[in-house]
This record gives sequence, structure tokens and C-alpha cells, in this order.
Amino acid sequence: MSAITYSNARHERLARLARRATWRLAGGVLVLWAVATLTFFALHLMPGDPVLAILGGASGNPTAETIAQATREFGLDKPLAVQYALYLGRLLQGDLGMSYSQHLPVTQVLAEQSWATLQLTFSALALAWLLVLALTVLTAGRGRWVSSLASLAETLAAALPHFWLGILLLAVFAFGLRWFPPAGSDGWRTLVLPAVALAIPLAGFIAQVTRESLELTLEQPFVLTARTRGLSDTAVRFKHALRHAVLPGISLSGWAIGALISGAVVIEVIFSRKGLGRQLYQAVQAQDLPLTIGISLAVAAVYVLANIVIDLLYLWIDPRQQGKTA
Amino acid sequence: MSELTFETTLPAVRVQRTASRLRPGPLLAVTFLAFLIIAALAPQLFAHSDPLAIVPHDAFHPPGWAHWFGTDQSGRDIFSRVIYGTRQSLFIGLAATALAMGIAIVLGLLGGLGGAYLDRGVGWLLEILFAFPSLVLALLFVAIFGSGVGPLIVATGLGGAPGYARMVRGQVLAVRNAGYIEAAVALGHPTRRIILRQLLPNAMRPLIVTLTMGVGQAIVWASALSFLGLGAPPPAPEWGTMLSMGRDFVANAWWLTFFPGLFIVLTTLSTTVAGRYLQQRLEGRLS
Amino acid sequence: MLERSPHLRSQGRRSRSLLKRTPLIGFAALCSLLVGCGPDTSTVARSDKPVSGGTLVYATDREPTCLDPHVSGDMPQVFIGQQYLDSLVSMDEQGQIGPWLAKGWEVSADGLVYTFHLRNDVHFTDGTPFNAAAVKANLDHMANPKTQSSTAGGYIRQYRSTEVLDDYTAVVHLATPYAAFLEVLAQGFLGIESPTALLRSRDQNCESPVGSGPFKIVKWDRQSQVELVRNPDYNWAPPTARHQGPAWLERIVWKFIQEPSVRFASLQAGEVDVIEALPPESHEAARRNPDLTMLVALRPGNPTNGTLNITRAPFDNLKVREAFVRSADVEGALKSVYFNEFPRAGGALSSATRFYSPDFEHAQDYDQGRAAQLLDESGWTGRDAEGYRTRDGKRLQVHVVIGNRTPPSELTLWEQVQATTRKAGFELLVEQMSDVQATQRQADWDYDIRVGYWNTNSADVLRIVFGSEFVQPAGVGGYHQNTAGFSSPQFDAINQQALATQDPEQRRALYYQTQQIASQQYLQLTTYPQSSRLGIYKTTQGVRLEPSLAVTYLYDAWVNK
Repeated sequence: MSAITYSNARHERLARLARRATWRLAGGVLVLWAVATLTFFALHLMPGDPVLAILGGASGNPTAETIAQATREFGLDKPLAVQYALYLGRLLQGDLGMSYSQHLPVTQVLAEQSWATLQLTFSALALAWLLVLALTVLTAGRGRWVSSLASLAETLAAALPHFWLGILLLAVFAFGLRWFPPAGSDGWRTLVLPAVALAIPLAGFIAQVTRESLELTLEQPFVLTARTRGLSDTAVRFKHALRHAVLPGISLSGWAIGALISGAVVIEVIFSRKGLGRQLYQAVQAQDLPLTIGISLAVAAVYVLANIVIDLLYLWIDPRQQGKTA
Repeated sequence: MSELTFETTLPAVRVQRTASRLRPGPLLAVTFLAFLIIAALAPQLFAHSDPLAIVPHDAFHPPGWAHWFGTDQSGRDIFSRVIYGTRQSLFIGLAATALAMGIAIVLGLLGGLGGAYLDRGVGWLLEILFAFPSLVLALLFVAIFGSGVGPLIVATGLGGAPGYARMVRGQVLAVRNAGYIEAAVALGHPTRRIILRQLLPNAMRPLIVTLTMGVGQAIVWASALSFLGLGAPPPAPEWGTMLSMGRDFVANAWWLTFFPGLFIVLTTLSTTVAGRYLQQRLEGRLS
Repeated sequence: MLERSPHLRSQGRRSRSLLKRTPLIGFAALCSLLVGCGPDTSTVARSDKPVSGGTLVYATDREPTCLDPHVSGDMPQVFIGQQYLDSLVSMDEQGQIGPWLAKGWEVSADGLVYTFHLRNDVHFTDGTPFNAAAVKANLDHMANPKTQSSTAGGYIRQYRSTEVLDDYTAVVHLATPYAAFLEVLAQGFLGIESPTALLRSRDQNCESPVGSGPFKIVKWDRQSQVELVRNPDYNWAPPTARHQGPAWLERIVWKFIQEPSVRFASLQAGEVDVIEALPPESHEAARRNPDLTMLVALRPGNPTNGTLNITRAPFDNLKVREAFVRSADVEGALKSVYFNEFPRAGGALSSATRFYSPDFEHAQDYDQGRAAQLLDESGWTGRDAEGYRTRDGKRLQVHVVIGNRTPPSELTLWEQVQATTRKAGFELLVEQMSDVQATQRQADWDYDIRVGYWNTNSADVLRIVFGSEFVQPAGVGGYHQNTAGFSSPQFDAINQQALATQDPEQRRALYYQTQQIASQQYLQLTTYPQSSRLGIYKTTQGVRLEPSLAVTYLYDAWVNK
């Protein structure tokens, strides 16, 4: 009897989650369409003739015929509305156009560069959470000194700009101690310093929130109950309090994805790593329209998707939210 | 709240502390901020040499008595440059935050007061803006409008606006239904007056803290853009630009990048600590 | 972007193209010309015997946008090209032309017909045989406007057609006599590619070009590296090579590490074996490091400079130009920014250029007194509140247009020029913008100073940067190569005379005159010559710089590890 009720409730809950996911995905697609539109029109405001950017930039010094040919080839002679329609049509077929500066289809550039950035951002996110858990679970509510010291460390970490931290790590651990290679995109050794540079400030942010919520949770009655049942302090912290305390931190992870991608631009430049961030920076400098739009779209897609996942994860961990948000 | 669940762009806002005595941390933070403000207004009080004066044969002096922070590749005194750079860096941070807040108030009020359709529209706009990470948005902006201090401020401000807008909207929604607003409406006060006198001040009060901390974050983002060579052009002693110009020499002369970076960190740290202190005080008074 | 050097990434305007008649190719002066070079600099010669096998990791600053050097034609392309391409002819360190893929050749009396007798034992790494049809396909490819070859195509503007007489005899017809044809053919930019591969689309050929050289390209991992492996069949090395048969190295990993400090640190750590564009701030550390050797050579051509726009005020006045040049403390800047590792270039030609004369080295020496006097004479006598000179109420302002990818060190140099010319009363406004915007400003003549350089191996470069025929834009892309706007029938006539004669002494005398005119006119603030600078880790030996363009050549290199 009770099992059936449970299973019904569970079913109900899953169905609600699925409905929510569908809605969110539909919303995400609309957001992406808006992003594509916005970028497309915004970048057409860019000064300078895109044909010149296509034909080798400032020094290509192309002839009249090559300009005319490229203008036709890229459809730049058509009215903007037509270009937009063509662009959307191609977009639906998964065609993001040719990169002017790379002489490659944008999708291929994305395919080649995404993995390095994903690797970097996910290692950084994982490392950040590891640091957060280690720091907060072990120090929250442990008396004023420990607490304020840990809190100072978190605040400091959150105040460190990626680029400065990156340079310091580079100078100390790659140039000075030579523990890690200063550049490259192959192997875990090249990943360490960039991931740390991205993770530390992020960990600072997440830890501040998590500590706060953990300290509140530790004062909750159910924690006291658990303690009276004879559970060890560490067990209480990890098994009971943490589940509640990480919620704000997890919701922050959506924001974190954005922050990590922003940080990746700078970090990839500093560490001469391949990746979408550095590619975007170079595409912007080279006024490579299709590539800039393509990367922005890809980044937005990741962001939207990650937020949907986190949203659902949030609901899953804390069902109370469902009533609130439905 | 169908589409919005992540109200945190500046997560530190959520942090609350119970004690509100002026401990050494906040004291130091406020002192440092006061120092920065004085330095921005009257840099000559602290720095004795011209931040632009070039002395090629004095290049790359390590930190010492003559030059506290050493000299750069053109023999300029880095301490002077950092001090003189305060004005521009603080200005960029403040201006960008003000701009972000301006946009946020407009969007937030529209969303919070404009009825269901407008609210949904604003919600969508925010969602779209959120899909661009701040630096990506700023890069796009710089790609279109070029680099320089002006675009830098706008780019940084735009990057921060959606976060604030979401908070303003939330606050407006919360305050709108408060008793004193209903009372004012019942008394027949004109809408504009209610918005300006009642709604906005009350909605904004909790955001003051966020803004304080936001200035620090804005300085960090602006210097990231400068670091990428898209901000204030040299020889301006802007902190991010100094970092950018010094980074080729990090193996030979660490002080070129260390000190401007240190000031960015200290500024951000101080705004966070001071903001948090302010928050405790405000909450203490309110509750 | 067509960018010429690791040093000035932004100033792509200067193409190495359009050398109508390159006289005998001057070769790069080796390190002895450089102030403060290390003892072991010309070639890394250690007594160890070459070892076959192993991987050499090479790191350079810029990634090319296309691996085929025929397309556009930027320095990073020719550096890779030299490893996987062979040329029709070779050039030795004395500037003499020797055989390579062509065993021999005859030139017709009128200088319009070149008959090449080709090797019959060469094939490309895709199996295509090398023959007269391949020569035709290559020259046609470079000359085809669709290839958008500004370098190779520019060098052979006189090219009309190739006749395939038989499989191994190619007859090349030129429109006008072009004494330098063989010399330009020796350059990596005109390397011979597989005609089968050239049939593919331009973008495909950019991605994986095919040559007959000692290495072949296997993979281009964008933003990271290009991998090359040894061509096991290779048996047609040029006479200038130190050995015959396949290359010693099994594999080359050609990495792109943009940040100079990171690149040097990678070398110090032994993560890479050779780096190009050794940053000047690291020269001292490289010299002191027993694990490292340096290989440095100046590149010929027009040195790095700021060219003054003489078509508008204030630089339409010769006295103001000289005053500006004199008030810029370039020596001080070179000392602090480049650690005295770069020599001052005082004349319009780099000292590595043939027919260079040292007589004009001091025409630009720092002299504030003279600058002040000249400005007084030219009527800029007023001073405003900020100390800038004025004339008729107008401030003495000059605008430098700089692309936003200019490296920090170059910007610092201009910051220092800004600070020192200010003492004379100039307000120098450094305007950074995107390359496209900068080109637009150049096309509109809306600048007072443009920063650039032109690497090429002939004194004829002066005709391109100051000749009146180049005041007009070359393509509709907008920019003119004569950024000074200088136009003098006398100067043009001397250049034409120099192109018409083969007598070296006569040419020397004529090029002396063009250098003199350029110097007396103060058309440029010249700063330092371009250079190729390699740092080599102890594991690697036998690395050489190819003579005409000072390009890395790894065929004779080997690794001990």
C-alpha cells in the first residue's frame, strides 16, 4: 500500500520534472534564436567592410574582381533582411558558415576547439567544488578563529582576478619552480595551472555562499536530531547538512558556467592554450563575423543547457522548490 | 518565476553575518577605500613623481627605497603610476556600475510595474542577456564599437546590467505589495511620486550593498578587457593596461605586473568586506 | 592578415611583393652585426655526429592562416614552407644561385625566356612526379589572382606563361626582362607544390599542402600545432645542404605559443627544442644559460619605422619632419624596451641589405637642440599652457595610427617617442584601432605616422616605399605602399636606372643616391632592423637559417635525446 503511494508520488514528481524540462528547453531554443538574431544584427554594425576581412584583412589588398567575387560568394550583396533569412535557414541546417580568418567551416572550428575549453572549464568547476567542500565542511561552525580565517581565505580568493592569478601561477610554478609546463593543450600537466587559476576565484564565490548556508543548516533541528542519534560530527556534516547546504552553491553553478567561460578567454590567452575563448578573442580582433557569431551561439547554448540541467538538478535535490516555482 | 531561478549574479549578497561590531577587517577595508578615494582626487599627496615621465636608463629597477614598487620598461615609477591610475580605474568601476544600475532600474521597473506582458518581455530580455557571459558580451561590444575607455565602461556596464536588473525587479515586486505603497495608492498620490519617493528608495536600499561590491567586480572585468588590450590605451596608468603592458616581462621583472594586480585585488577585497559590513549594519537597523 | 614579422603583428600593410626586378639577392647578415650577440651564434656547431630519428619540437609566435605560402604570403607561412617544399633553384650564403629541382637553365639574350632543365628523379609526397607540367602548374597558381598571392604572385608579375617543351624541360616566358627571377625562385614563398594537390580548392590546399621536401605535413591542429614527418624518399637536397638523403629528424612538432615569456620559458624547461622570435628581454638569460644557444640574423629590407605622411601638415614641412625625428630618443627606447639587443637603424635600408651604405646611420641621431631650432625656424614658435608648440593658435599635433594587435613592446617604444618628442613641443597622439579601421585611415591618408617595415632582399625596396608609382593604391583594398606620399621624378629616375643595369658598382652608386635622398627628406623615423632570432636547446644541433630570407631550415638538424 505504502509502496504504491510512494511510486505514484515518484511518478508524479518525474512527470512534473519532464514537463518543466520541456518548457525550459523550448524557452532555451527561443533564447538561442534571440541570441543569434541579436549577434547577427549587432555585428553588421561593425565598422569596416566585411569583404575586406574575408579577403585577408587589412593587407590582403585584393583586386576589384576578387572583392566582387567574395561579395557574391558570401551573399553580402543581398539586402540585410535576405542575408538574415539565409543565415537563419543555414543555421537550422546546422551550417554556421565559413570562418573568414580560418578558411574553415565554423562548425569545424567549434568541433576542434570546444573540447579543450570544456576540459578546462569542467576541471576548473570540479576543482572549485572540491576546494569548496574541503574548506567549508571542515571549517564551518568550528569556532570564531577557524571560521574567520577560512572566510578571509574565501573572500580573498573571490577577489583574485583570473588574469593576475594566471600570471602569478605561471611565474611561480612554470617559470620559477618548473613543476608544470608553461604552455600547451596536451596532457593533464598542461591543464593544472590554467584550471587552478580558474578554480580559485570561483571556489571563493561558491564557498562564501555554501559556508553561510552550511552554518545555518548546522543549527537546524534535524541536525541536532542526527547528532543525538549518535552520528559522528563528520558524518552529520557530510550526510545530512551538506545536502541542504549545497543548494545555493548549485544554483550558483549556472552563474559559474558564464564566469568560467569569461575566465577561459583570458586564461587561454595567458597559457597559450587552444580553445573557444582564445578563438573568440582572435575572431573579434580579426573581425571574423561568422566565427564570432558561431562561438557566441555555442557559448550561449552551453549556458542555456547548463542552466536547464542545474534547474532540474535543483528541483531534484530539493522538491520543495517545485511548489514554489510551478 | 517560470523562467527565472538563478537570481544570483553577485553571490556575495546572500552572505549574511550576525556580528556587526567594527572589526579589524572592515576597518582596514574602509581605510583602504578612503585612501583610494583620496588618491583618486589628489594623487600628488602620495606619489611624488610624474606617472608619465620617461627615464629610459632607469628602466626595470626592482622595488627599493628610491622606487617602492620599482620602475617599468620606460623607467617610470610604478608606485606613482598605480596611485595616479586609481582615478581612472575607480572611475571606470564606478561609471560601469552606475550604468549597469541605470539600465537595471529601467528594466526592473518596467518588469516589476509594467504588467504581466511587459514583465515577461523583460524576463526574456534578461534571459537572453544572461546567455552571454560578461566577457563575451563585452568582447562583442568592443568588436562593434572599438576599444577605449568609453566602450570599456559601456561594455563592462552592459555585462553587469542583467544581474542587477533581476535583483531590482525582484525588489520592486516585493516592495510593490508592501503596506505603505498600498496606503499611498489609497491616499491617491500620483504614481510618479509613489515610484520616486516610496517604491524606488525602498527597493534600492538592499541593493546599495550589492552596488558597493559591484564596483570591485566592475574594476576586475574592466581590467580583464584592458589586459586583453581592449581598454584604456597606453600610456594611461590604468591598472589593467599596466598589467597588459608588463606581462611580457613577467620572467624578468615581476613587479611590473604584481603591483597593479595587487591594487585590483585589494580594491575588490575592500569593496567586498566594506559592502558586507554595510549590509550587516543595514540589516541590523532594519530588523 | 598578412603580417611580416613576429614583432609587429599589426602592421600588415607592408607586403613583400611587387619586386619588379630584384637585383642579386642580398643575404642576411649574421650575428656579428648585432650588438651584443653571444659567441656561438652563426650555426650551432657541436662536434657530435648527426643522429637519425627523434622528434624536434619547434615553437613560434604566430600561426599562419594558410600553410600554402603561395596564398597571401606571410612570414609564418614561409617558415613552415621551407620544411616541406623544395624550390626550383637554390641560393648559397654568398648569394650565388645553384641547382635544386632544376639541374640547369639558360636565359635568352633579351632576358625574356628562361629554359629550365629539370631533375627526373623527384616526386612529391603524394606520389605525383615532378616535371615541367608541375612547374607550369605552380607558376600559374602563383600568378592566378584567385590564389590571392601577394608575395609569390607579386614577385613574378612579369610572368607570362610556361611552355612544356618535354617532360623535363620547362620554358618560362616573361613580359619584361627581370634579372632577379632566379633569385626570387630560390625563396620558400615560391616553393614547388604537387600539381595534383593544387587542383583542390584553395582552402583544402591551405589545410594540407603537398610538396617534395624533406618533411611532409600530416596534421594541422589549429591554435596548437602542425605535425610534420620525415619524407623517407627524400634524395634531392640542394647543394647548400650539409647532407644528402632523408632528413635526420623523424618528426617535427611545430607549435604556436604566442606569449613571448611563455615561449621562452618552454625553451628553458626543455619542453620545446627550438623557439623562433626569441624575445629580446630574454636574450641575456639565453646567453647566460649553458643549455641554450642563440641563432640571430638581421633581415634585409626597410627596417621597422614610423613613416611620416608628407601630404599634409605638419609633416609637409621638411624642417618639422627632421625636428620630429631628431626629438625622438630611439636609442634610449631601444635600450630600455629591447635591452639593447636591437641595433638602431638610422637609414632607410637594413644593414643586411645589399648596397646598404652606413653613411646615413647618424642622420636621425637624438638632438633636442637641433629639433628646437628647426621648429623655431619653421614658425612653430608659440607654446600653449600644456607646453606644446603652436603656430597661428594651432597645436603641433601628430597622429600615429596603430593596429590593436601591436605587441606591448612596440607600443612602449612609441610611448617613449611620445614622451621625448613632447619635450620638443610635439603632441603625439597614439591611436590604436582594429586593422580594418587602420587600413581605412591609411587609404584616406588620415594619419601623420604609420608604423611598419618591409622585409625583402633588395635595395629596390626603396622604390616601393618611396616611389611615386606606389602613391596610388595597388589594389582596391585601399592602401598605397608609399605611405609617406613622397613623389619625386628624380628619385624615380635613379631607381629605374638601377633596375636597368647589371653592373654592381653602378648599382651601388645609384642605390647610394636613393638612400641619400630618403635620408635627407626625413621620410621615416627608422627604429631597428627586423631579425630572425632562434633559441636552441642543448638537445638540438644543426639548425640553420636559410640565407636569403633568414628562415629556419631543419633539414640538417638532429636531436640527441
